[in-house]
Amino acid sequence: MLERYFSCVGTDDAGSEDAASIRARLRDGFTPAFGRRATILGLLIGGVLRKALDRNCEAIVYASAYGETRTLADFLDSFPHASPTLFQTSVHPSAVQQVMIDRQQPVREYIPLAGGRCLAARALVTAILAPAERVVLCGGEERGSWMTEYQMASDRSFAFALALQRSRDASTQGRIRLLPIVESNAATDPISFPAWFELLHGRRNFSGPVSAEWQLELEWT
Amino acid sequence: MTSLLGWDESPSTLTPTDSSPVQLAACGCISALGNAAETHEALLRGERALALKPVYGSSGGDPVPLALLPGRSLDETSPPSWMPAVKRLMRECPDAPWGGARHPVFVTSSNFGVGNLFSFRRAGTLSHLDFGTPEACVAFIAGELGWGGNVTILSHACVSANLGLVLAARQIALEIADEALVFSFDFLSPFVAGGFHALKILNSEAPAPYQARDFGSIGLGDGAAFAVLRKPGPGWIIASQTMYNEMHHFTAFPSDGAGFAACIEPLVRVASGRRLWIKGHGTGTLEAGRLEAEAFGRACPASPLVGWKGSLGHTLGSSGLVELAVALESLRSGRIPGTVGSEAPTFSEKVSLGPIFDSSFDGVVCASNAFGGAHAALLLCHA
Repeated sequence: MLERYFSCVGTDDAGSEDAASIRARLRDGFTPAFGRRATILGLLIGGVLRKALDRNCEAIVYASAYGETRTLADFLDSFPHASPTLFQTSVHPSAVQQVMIDRQQPVREYIPLAGGRCLAARALVTAILAPAERVVLCGGEERGSWMTEYQMASDRSFAFALALQRSRDASTQGRIRLLPIVESNAATDPISFPAWFELLHGRRNFSGPVSAEWQLELEWT
Repeated sequence: MTSLLGWDESPSTLTPTDSSPVQLAACGCISALGNAAETHEALLRGERALALKPVYGSSGGDPVPLALLPGRSLDETSPPSWMPAVKRLMRECPDAPWGGARHPVFVTSSNFGVGNLFSFRRAGTLSHLDFGTPEACVAFIAGELGWGGNVTILSHACVSANLGLVLAARQIALEIADEALVFSFDFLSPFVAGGFHALKILNSEAPAPYQARDFGSIGLGDGAAFAVLRKPGPGWIIASQTMYNEMHHFTAFPSDGAGFAACIEPLVRVASGRRLWIKGHGTGTLEAGRLEAEAFGRACPASPLVGWKGSLGHTLGSSGLVELAVALESLRSGRIPGTVGSEAPTFSEKVSLGPIFDSSFDGVVCASNAFGGAHAALLLCHA
C-alpha cells in the first residue's frame, strides 16, 4: 500500500472562461512580465501552486494530457516564420517551468507526465514514490483553440495542486492511499483526469480503481 | 516568510542525491547510423551521420544539419514513417508481459507525434490526427508492440529518457515492478527543426561539441532506444541517477555552472574508487558546452569527456537512452568513440577528440541537459 497525507490543496475550475479573462483574473499575483507572457496553463498552474509551493520544494510532479495547446496551435500557424518564443513555451512541461523561472527557484526533481488513459494514477504513483519528504503534485489543462474541435486539446480549463507528505501535521487536509488490485480486471474503467480534478475541487471522498493496478482511497479530514 | 506576491519565500535547502541501483538487463537503440553496435562502430570510425537538408522538408528553407534514419523523409506520413524502424529495434527487447501489472512501461519523448500534427495543419489530412497527441501516439506504439495498459508517459524535453530510467528504477527498488521497460523516441519533423532554427542554434554550420570556436550550432537526429531494468544483479548496473532543475531561463544556464555541478557531483561521490569516463550532453552550443566541460573538469579531473551529437545530431528526448546504449557498447568493448566533428582547441583538455581504446575503465557517467536548465545524469558500471 502506498500512502501519503495531503495539504495545501488549490484548485481552479476555469471551465470555458476565455483566455483574456483568465489572464486578467490571475495576473496580479505574479511579476508583470509573467502576467503578460505566461501561457494560460502557466497562469492557472501558477495560481493553484500558490499554497503548495514553498522555497524548500524538492520535487514537483506535473500532469497534463495536452499541455500548452494554445501556444502549440499558434506555433504551428507561425510557419514558415516559426516563432522562437512560441516554440520554447509550446514544449510540454513548460507551465511549471514558467512559474519556477519567474520565481528563479530551482527544484531537484521535476517530473512531467504527458497523458495516458490512467494519467491520475500514474501521477499519484510517481509522486508517492518520489523520495522527497514533501512532494508537490499539480496538473491541469487549458481550453484549446482550433485544436479542440479535433479532440487534440482540452475542451475546458482547470488546474490543481496539492502537497503530499509522509506524516500527518497540523496542515493535513486528508489522506491518499493506493492499494494494489490483485485480480486485475481488464474491464476496469479508471477515473479520468478531469474526474480526478473534480474530486479535489469538490473536496469529495473516493474509493475505487484509478487504473487496472491501483485502487484509490481519497479521504478528506 | 511571505513575499509581496503572496509566495512562501523561506530559504531553499535542496538535497542533491537520489539513488536506486538497478540492473541494466538489456539496452538497444537506433540512430541514423544503425543499431547500437552499428552506431558504436561508425562513431569509432569517426563517421558523421549529419547532412545538410532543408529545414522545412519538402517545403524547403535553409539547409541545416539533420541525421534522419536511412530512407526517412523529414515530412511525416500517416501512419508514421518511423514505426517499422521501431519494430525492428524492439525485436532486440527481451520478451515479457510489458505493460502488465508487474512489468510497467515508461515511454518518454519530447515531441511524440507532433510531426503528424504539423502535417495535418499543412495538408489537412485527418488521419494524421491519430498520432497527434502524446497519448494517441503512445497508444499507437503500444498497440503495434502489444503492450498492456500499465504505461506511464513522460515528457521533459531532452532529459525525458532519464526520467523514465529514474521512475523505472524506483518501481523496481520498491518492489512494485519485477522488471521495467523504458522506451524513448524522437523523430524529426519540420516542427522541431523549424523551432530550433527559429532559436538560431540550428543553422547551416555543423555542430562541434566542446570546441572553443566563435559560433555555436547544433544538429538534430532521429533516435529511439529501449532499456530493460531489473533488480541489481550481475553484469551492468545503473548505480545511481541524479536530477536537478535550475529554473533560471528557458534556454540559458547561469554563468556559474552550478546546476551542472549539482547534478554531477553526487554521482562522482558514488563512483569513488572507480576509473570513469564521461559521456557528456555536448550539443554544440558554446556556453552550455563550456559550462559542462568545466564542471566535469572540476568534479572528476582524471576522466576523459566525449560527446557524440556532432555525428548523431541531438536526438532530443531520446538522446539520454540512445547514447546510453552506445555507452554500454563502449564499456563492454573497451573502445570509446571520441567527440566526432570537433577539433582543437576545446573547452577542456579532458575532451577526447579521438577514440579511446582502454578496457580498464569500470564506469561511465552519462549526462543530459534540457530546456529550463534541466540536468540529469547516471552512473553506469559493473555490479
